[in-house]
Amino acid sequence: MTATLLTSDLVLSVAEEVFAALVDGEEGKLTPWIGAPVSFVEPVVAWVDLAGEWAGRAVLLTERSTADDLARALLCLDPAEDLGDEDLVDAFGEIANVVGGNIKSIVATNGDLGLPHVSTTIPDASGTIIEEVLLSWRGRLMIVRVLHLS
Amino acid sequence: MRALVIDDSRAMRRIVGGILRGFGYETIDAGNGQEALDALAEHGPVELACIDWNMPVMDGLTFVNRVREQPELRGVTLMMVTTESEHGHIVRALAAGAHEYVIKPFTADAIRDKLDLLGLLPMEETV
Repeated sequence: MTATLLTSDLVLSVAEEVFAALVDGEEGKLTPWIGAPVSFVEPVVAWVDLAGEWAGRAVLLTERSTADDLARALLCLDPAEDLGDEDLVDAFGEIANVVGGNIKSIVATNGDLGLPHVSTTIPDASGTIIEEVLLSWRGRLMIVRVLHLS
Repeated sequence: MRALVIDDSRAMRRIVGGILRGFGYETIDAGNGQEALDALAEHGPVELACIDWNMPVMDGLTFVNRVREQPELRGVTLMMVTTESEHGHIVRALAAGAHEYVIKPFTADAIRDKLDLLGLLPMEETV
């Protein structure tokens, strides 16, 4: 149970590694967000629960259009190819899964990772935000949030 | 050579399958451990199974245990490909009979290196 080891720099590092390996194929497309955050018009949220001695949740939050493009990048789809809701849920959920799994390895919960969930509303959770990192993916806002669930 | 790609994410099956096909594998997809056991029963043993850990219906560790219970499947090389990267998980998987462990996110080179170590790269791909 070493949640205190988790820092915003580590969360950023995890996200950068995941995006470089799975989404972009190169580093540098995901950077810290500069300036005030923008409001999401049509938010999409993906999360995985981290079970064990330390229970938490890793959450990814972004605009629907950004999630669509993330899914297209992960699936290597051409712009003309249709992206169904099922593809979006699968791909965005998998990105949250990999980000959450790597955060879990830092926190060392000694438990299992839950299955990913994707929704248009942020899930209710009686927890405390222990880290929140605002990121820019190709100029668009993405938020990674880690909660300690009570 | 044939590989079974077991992951509940179609996106991840597509990524892992694409890498393996690039190395000359024919791939078979399964969305969980039970589907993978069904695929083995239908298609017969494969040379390699790439296995996610957390999946609905039957998880990857249970699948590894089930495969190791079947002598006719002892030739199947089992490689975990998962986000579960805590030391305890790796030890449990290897103790259950997995041969290798790849942590997501991975690169094609990382998969290639593991296959090379296992002697499972086609000759022209061996480094």
